[in-house]
Amino acid sequence: MTNNDTLLEMFRLMVFSRTLDRVYGEHDGHWHGLEGEEAVVAGVYYGLRPTDVLAPHYRGMPVASYAKGADLRKLLAGMLAKKTGYNRGRHRNDICGPPEFNLIGLYTGSLGPSLGYATGAALAAKLDDRDDIAVAVFGDGVSSRGDCHESMNLAAVQKLGVVFVCQNNQYAISTTTEAGVAGVIAKRAEGFGMPGIQVDGNDVLAVRAAMDEAVLRARSGAGPSLIEALTYRVAGHFYSDREDYRDPELVERWRKRDPIKRYRAHLLDNDVLDEHGLSAIETEAAMQIECAFEKALSDPPPDLEDLGIDAVYAEGASE
Amino acid sequence: MTRMTFQQALVSAIAEEMRRDRGVFIMGEDVGSFGGPLKSTDGLWEEFGKEGRVIDMPISEATIVGAAVGAAMQGKRPIVDLMFLEFLGLVMQQFIDAGAMHYYSAGAVRVPMVVRAKYGVGPHHGHQYDLHSWATNIPGVKVVAPATPSDAKGLMKAAIRDDNPVLFIEHMGLYHASREDVSDDPDFVVPLGKARVVRDGADVTIVASAMMVKRALSAAVQLEKAGVSAEVVDLRTIAPLDKETILSSIRKTGRLIVACEAIETGSSANDVVALAAEKAFEYLKAPVARVSPPSIPVPFNRELEKLFLPGIDDIVDAAERAIQYSDTGALREPVRA
Ligand SMILES: Cc1ncc(C[n+]2csc(CCOP(=O)(O)OP(=O)(O)O)c2C)c(N)n1
Repeated sequence: MTNNDTLLEMFRLMVFSRTLDRVYGEHDGHWHGLEGEEAVVAGVYYGLRPTDVLAPHYRGMPVASYAKGADLRKLLAGMLAKKTGYNRGRHRNDICGPPEFNLIGLYTGSLGPSLGYATGAALAAKLDDRDDIAVAVFGDGVSSRGDCHESMNLAAVQKLGVVFVCQNNQYAISTTTEAGVAGVIAKRAEGFGMPGIQVDGNDVLAVRAAMDEAVLRARSGAGPSLIEALTYRVAGHFYSDREDYRDPELVERWRKRDPIKRYRAHLLDNDVLDEHGLSAIETEAAMQIECAFEKALSDPPPDLEDLGIDAVYAEGASE
Repeated sequence: MTRMTFQQALVSAIAEEMRRDRGVFIMGEDVGSFGGPLKSTDGLWEEFGKEGRVIDMPISEATIVGAAVGAAMQGKRPIVDLMFLEFLGLVMQQFIDAGAMHYYSAGAVRVPMVVRAKYGVGPHHGHQYDLHSWATNIPGVKVVAPATPSDAKGLMKAAIRDDNPVLFIEHMGLYHASREDVSDDPDFVVPLGKARVVRDGADVTIVASAMMVKRALSAAVQLEKAGVSAEVVDLRTIAPLDKETILSSIRKTGRLIVACEAIETGSSANDVVALAAEKAFEYLKAPVARVSPPSIPVPFNRELEKLFLPGIDDIVDAAERAIQYSDTGALREPVRA
């Protein structure tokens, strides 16, 4: 069973995510918030090896990057497109995690292709005979992209070590899952001849248990799996979304099912940590993020040198 | 006449054509009650939703455009809102097929379809790529890029009535910017394939489209102050090019600047340059110049974005360099104020 370190690290990530939402959302109205979906990102992104490749869903990319070891201040600077960020201001870390941590982000705004890139990472591991895996995460909306279907089929045919995770928050901008997705996403797995499971995406332990099994299978060379984590996008599509396409009462109902509160109560009830310890984690996350954000904000913008008009091609070739 | 923004003009064009022809329908992601990305279909759901002619789509771009091609082959007039031109790469195969169908079937089939796509460096931070040039390399596909609300309306109506696949690009920097008087006449159209001389001039021709027309006009005002008379040609339709309007302007001024938001390598601007070199060489007094971004991905930071995208000053500079060549084509002493 999951040890206490893991239990607490997942809590830390959930709190980290909620705090980042607040700090960054207030700064940037275009921020894609994660409120309500924290159990999915914590359960999926915690505990991967540095050599495992992670293609996160765009919503939650910074949490994934942080979980993979990215430096918080540099990450925030990269989200703000500062000179000091991972991307020198050329791109945006909010949808594209730094590849130095084996993260696959969005290199244009197009959703879907990164699932293929993750599949390719698992192919490379297979060619090298490594037991590193790839984790490919997508929204319910992205599940309609051909890339999603094609990646699953290819990974299954080739027995690649990919864990496919659908972060089903029941919306794609204004389009509900009923309007955008036919059938049950988890059941697609059967059609591709791989295990598929739907879990309560507001229960971090359920997500974790499904991940543990799928990761084990991927590492063993048995092939891919699909996990559909059912949750709800309490946040707007972006921070300043008017949200006139949905009933505020429904949002309120889901807000009450807060995965963080639920998990916090579990940790208390099971004596994993006391109230004092949990509050300390919360305070620490707030301080850490606010402090790193202040620093990143005051970092300099990029300049002509960072534009790099001669830097588009890589130098060198194989000997 | 009604004063409208670019976005309102587009929506009113589509609404008028949907009223006029029941074969016209629109589909795309979030085009329904949400009102479309950047309000691109605002109000259409309320008027035509019940009839099933405003259709929300799953995130399946290739098949959305594929379905539009299939419906068009059956005689419908589909409009697809692709959201962003950045997604053109996802639907290129469908464009290649659609462009070939009329020709390869020896005229047996037509594909009257409009694919709308937003793009451009502007207030919307992200999805800026101007990739329209790719489509100009596909035989049988028309590419339309309005610069004003009035043209947005007239060109959209013409595009919907046209019997060919049309890529209709909508610059986000123009979308909610200024308003102008736009015709209410249901038969008002701006024909495809016709450029417009938006400013008369004698010394230099600036060919541009979309946002670059605005910048070219501002550059022309600055040049005027320096005693240089610039003519501005708005392409409006980028493929097929209105060669005659471009050539007659070059014959008049003898100097050509082409301003384009697409990166210079493989840009549609290069076709304008080639046209000048092949068909107006004897009229040219100065080297032709392009004003385009460098061949790198669009950078995200606002400062880098400014360095990336050519501004009014870049157009002025290019025109002033061209003016340094005399009417006989000899380089004069640079005259600087
Ligand atoms: C290929 C592609 N189509 C459309 C978009 C525009 N878009 C951005 S986010 C989004 C919704 C994605 O929905 P989902 O996968 O459910 O993720 P969520 O936003 O709910 O987290 C859309 C349609 C895009 N970025 N890429």
